[in-house]
Amino acid sequence: MLAFSLARRERSCYKFCMKQKPRVSLREIFTTFAIIGATGFGGGMAIVSLIERCCVDKKKWLSLDEFMHGLAFSQILGPFSLNICTFIGYYLRGVIGGIIAAFGFISPSFSLISLLTWLYFRFHELPQLESALKGTNPVVIGLILVAVAGMTKSTVKGFNGWAMAILSFSGAVFFKADALIILVLGAIWSLVRCVYLQEHK
Amino acid sequence: MAGLVKLAWVFLKIGLIFVGGGYVLIPLLHRIMVDQYRWLTLREFLDGVALSQLTPGPLAMLATFTGFRAGGFWGGVIATLFIFLPCTALMLAISSHYEKFRDMELLRKTLDGILPAVVGLVAAAAWNLGTISLAGARDFTLLAAGFLILQFTRINPMFVILGAGAIGFFFRFS
Repeated sequence: MLAFSLARRERSCYKFCMKQKPRVSLREIFTTFAIIGATGFGGGMAIVSLIERCCVDKKKWLSLDEFMHGLAFSQILGPFSLNICTFIGYYLRGVIGGIIAAFGFISPSFSLISLLTWLYFRFHELPQLESALKGTNPVVIGLILVAVAGMTKSTVKGFNGWAMAILSFSGAVFFKADALIILVLGAIWSLVRCVYLQEHK
Repeated sequence: MAGLVKLAWVFLKIGLIFVGGGYVLIPLLHRIMVDQYRWLTLREFLDGVALSQLTPGPLAMLATFTGFRAGGFWGGVIATLFIFLPCTALMLAISSHYEKFRDMELLRKTLDGILPAVVGLVAAAAWNLGTISLAGARDFTLLAAGFLILQFTRINPMFVILGAGAIGFFFRFS
C-alpha cells in the first residue's frame, strides 16, 4: 500500500516535472542549433561541451542527467555531435523537434562545405591552389594518425583489443580486405564475446 | 536521376555502418569512392578531408564533398541526407522508447567491442593514403610537424590545415 502510494506520488511528481518542461518553439530550436553548428569549430567533444553549456546551463532545457543519457545513446551510430542535437530536439518537441534540431545543426556546415567544394572543383587546377593543397596533404595524414592515437588510448585494451586492432590493420593493408567485411566480422566477434562473457560471469 | 538514386543507396549503406565516430568514414569512403566507383582520385579525396576540416561540422561533411563530386549540388544534398538518415532515425527511435533502452548493456558493450577493429581500419587508411601520397623529406617533415602540433597542443585543426596550405602556397609546392 505504502509502495503504491509512493509510486503514485512519484508519478504525479513526474507529470508535474513534465509540465514544467519549457515549451520551446521550433524556430528557436532551429536557430539555437544552427548557431551551435556555425560556431562549433573543433568538432567532437568541443561541440558537445558547447551544447551542454547552451542547452543545460543557459537555457535549462534539460537536466545534466538527461543530457548524459542522451550522450550515451549518441555514441551508437553516426557523429555524436549531431545525435545529441537530435536527442535534445526530440526531448523538447518530439520527432519534428528532433529533425529540426538535426537540420539546424548541419545546415551551416553543409552550406560552407558546398561552397568550398564548388570552389574546389572549379579552381583546383590553378597552380597556386594546387600548391596550397599539396601542403595540406601530409597534415591530413597527420590528423588521421592523431585520431588513431587518441582512439587507441581510449578503446584498445587488453589482448583481445590489440589482437583485433592488429588483425584489422593487417587485413586492410596486406590483404586488401574490404573495410566493410572487417567491420562486420568485428561486430560478430564482439557480440559473441560479449554474450559469452555475460553467460560466464 | 538513376545516378542520384544509386548515390542515395550507397550513402544510406555507409550511414548504416557509421560506428565509432567520424574517422571510420575515411577507410570506408576511400574504398567506395576512390577504389570502387572511381568518383574521386586519391588527391581529391585527401583534399576533401582537408576541406571538411575547414567546416565546424563533423568529419562526415566529407560525404557532402564526395556526393557533390559524383552528382553536382543535388548529389551533395542527397549524400548528406542519406548518410545521416540512419543515425537520426535511430536516435529518434531510441529517444521515444527512452525507458526501455536505459539498460541496453549488451548492445553498448558489443558496440564498444567493435572499436578496436575501427582503430585498426583507420590506421590502415592512414598507412594506405600515406604510402601512396607522401614522397620525400618535405612531406614527412610536414607530417611529423602536423602530428606533433595536433597531438600536443590545443590548436584547432582548422588553423593547422590553413597553415599547411599557406606553407604549400608560399613555397610553391609542386
